Amino acid sequence: MVEIKTVEVSQKKKTRLNNTVILFIILVVMFALFSYVGRPFFFSKLNLIPMVSNLSFVGIIAAVLTMVMVSGEIDFSIGGNIGLTACLTALLLERGLPGWLVVIIAIAGGFAMGAFNGMLVTVVGVNSIIATIGTMFIWRGIGYTLTNGESILALNPVIDYIGRGMVFQVIPFPIILLVVTFVITYVIMNHSKWGRRIYAIGANPLASFLSGINVKKVKFIGFLFCGAAAALGGLVLTSLSAVGMPQHGQGQELVIISAIILGGTALGGGRGQILGTLAGVLILSVLYNFLTIMNIYYFYIQMVQGSVLILVVSTYEIRQAVARRRT
Amino acid sequence: MGGDKVSDNNSMILRMENITKIFPGVKALDDVSIDLYKGEVLGILGENGAGKSTLIKILAGNYIKDSGDIFIDGEKFEIKGPAEAMASGIRVIYQELNTINNLTVAENIFVGEQIIKSPLKIVDWKGMTKKAEDLLAVMNVKLDPNAIIGDLTVSEKQVVEIAKAISQEAKILVMDEPTAALSEEETQSLFKIIRTLKSKGVAVIYISHRLKEIFEITDRVTVLRDGKKVGTLKTKESDSNKLVEMMVGRDIKDMYPKRHVPIGEIVMEVNNLTAAGFDNISFNLKKGEILGIFGLLGSGRSSLVNALFGANKIKNGDIFINGKKLKIKSPSMARDARIGLVPLDRKAEGLALMMGVKENITLANIADLGKSFLIARRQEYKKAGKWVEEIGIRTPSVDQEVNSLSGGNQQKVVLAKWLESGSQIIILNEPTRGVDVGAKIEIYKLMQDLCEKGSSIIMISSELPEILSIADRIIVMSKGRFTEEYKVCDASEEGLLRSACL
Repeated sequence: MVEIKTVEVSQKKKTRLNNTVILFIILVVMFALFSYVGRPFFFSKLNLIPMVSNLSFVGIIAAVLTMVMVSGEIDFSIGGNIGLTACLTALLLERGLPGWLVVIIAIAGGFAMGAFNGMLVTVVGVNSIIATIGTMFIWRGIGYTLTNGESILALNPVIDYIGRGMVFQVIPFPIILLVVTFVITYVIMNHSKWGRRIYAIGANPLASFLSGINVKKVKFIGFLFCGAAAALGGLVLTSLSAVGMPQHGQGQELVIISAIILGGTALGGGRGQILGTLAGVLILSVLYNFLTIMNIYYFYIQMVQGSVLILVVSTYEIRQAVARRRT
Repeated sequence: MGGDKVSDNNSMILRMENITKIFPGVKALDDVSIDLYKGEVLGILGENGAGKSTLIKILAGNYIKDSGDIFIDGEKFEIKGPAEAMASGIRVIYQELNTINNLTVAENIFVGEQIIKSPLKIVDWKGMTKKAEDLLAVMNVKLDPNAIIGDLTVSEKQVVEIAKAISQEAKILVMDEPTAALSEEETQSLFKIIRTLKSKGVAVIYISHRLKEIFEITDRVTVLRDGKKVGTLKTKESDSNKLVEMMVGRDIKDMYPKRHVPIGEIVMEVNNLTAAGFDNISFNLKKGEILGIFGLLGSGRSSLVNALFGANKIKNGDIFINGKKLKIKSPSMARDARIGLVPLDRKAEGLALMMGVKENITLANIADLGKSFLIARRQEYKKAGKWVEEIGIRTPSVDQEVNSLSGGNQQKVVLAKWLESGSQIIILNEPTRGVDVGAKIEIYKLMQDLCEKGSSIIMISSELPEILSIADRIIVMSKGRFTEEYKVCDASEEGLLRSACL
């Protein structure tokens, strides 16, 4: 009996690993296929650099939001946060503040927005879906109010560099931000005590609380950093577009959450992998880019994106059901 | 084995013959046969993993057997799914209750089978209430059909489940550990209902770990072990030693091994403690002592231990640990004061089921896993491995998801968590609920090992033989108040029950 169980363990481990590995295989196949079908433009500097710069801002936020989602919460306000950060950045630059100070203020603003969400959820006790849908509207509303709904030019050497700078003249700076974010979140989630607490809370908040884990603190800090990550994403987007406008980031919360779920994170918490999220972001972004350069009508692109999400998540459910029937 | 038949063959209602069920790598059931007669209660006894629930799930149509035959009323019958099982009059009441909390008793009984008034096809509320009343009367219970389920006690909810089962012409009623969440008193009223049903010709399959109940309610008992049938006995002709031996496959001399542990000075003193659920409770706990807390459901015993552990806000009163006054405001403060809690519902409150054995063992002490902010994996494996070895957690590895462990081993994982955290005062809330006999004895031994090493234990238990054998001293609570304290040598089942109803 014991030996048989051991086999089961290794099988289970394999399937969990497989989910992420399969996603990366899909990604590589997709990329190769797109490079061929979309030749020569798809696999060219002219296409790839804007593509990776764009997916960077999605990925930075997705990595941190994965931590929040594994702990069993969610943050819909990231889109609004991006919009407000963009407006704030542009307005402060207009006032003539130095670029580095604007960056600091923008990130601090992100922390403040995250703290507000965290407080609503952990202190007041509002369900995070409701709390952050509420703040999503509030942040964007503030953005519209501050700018009167207009786009404001955001040109400044520091800001320009965040989205469009090139390190060693070949690596887009957002990619550096993306890699750093993923390395940090990966280490936290897979190797740190903090990450262990996040997984434990997602798996069973009550048992975690009754084991002396400060559940509210862990969740609060998740929201805090999610706010900061969204603000950083907002800075990248502002830089890429060279304008700050309240519409920035509209709908992005759903794209980002889709990518995370595509990557295998469970909505209820407890399960999720940072690398899975990375794969999810890459797959959705590469697909979107390919369809766009192939001149596919935007309406169809949306349908394809939605279908991919449903298809992948359905296979998760089916595989889980099969695994359950086996035991 | 003898005693297979209680009456003439005509009244045999069910026969499961040579049933085999194989899961990948495991023979869950190996050539098992049982039969069931009209109006009898057949007990099925066996440790976790013995195959009891597999057998029941095959009967209920949740699993399909690999070989063997099922006869109902003498006719061969293929159960291909739950609907067919239902249609042939089989009703199963599972351990986890399936009542819907915000509906009324009557609505729950007739959920999915509402009584319809023609011609408008609207629900006939009056008819439903009336019929629910009749059903409850048949079972001889007083329960308002219009009461909201959420306001009922666990045992009343169970009554509703039974009513639901028999509302649809049950011929065979299967009850899977029905008393797991019931007090002694409530168990008695459940037995009354079973006897009433029995007299009306319903055949009952009764699954339980509790030998006392098997003796009280069953006519015959079938024992399973490792997927095989060990035998069927007439209950009257068996005794507990015999049954336990059949269950575990070896001779068990003593269900409740009690050792003499020298009792030291006071380690915890509770003075006039008041919180939600209880009032003005005072007691003390000494080194090496097992203090039993007895009370019926709603007596406030769980609220009390939750308050001691910082999970229930203390309104008034003081707690002294080793003579020092301590305000315990959270479980983390309790943990730091070397108090551990093995909670009532280990799946909901004690374990992160989807995580591994090692993650659960270190759950209360993540901060101690290495010096930096990173987890020192090797240290974690060592710590977890040590407890797995020391208290005998049966698991293929420390990476195993606790979800797949048996109840007894899960309970040991929860206990290991507090041992790893160095707890000196360990609170166990119903430590052997849903745990098989073999593991129960191990848990009792473990508790006393801990006392020998100088820990102290508070044990809540509603199992009278258990608390009377394992505890050194027993305090009884009723309706949130302290009623009586007994030295175990002065306590009796009657005495405890009387004090619990004061």
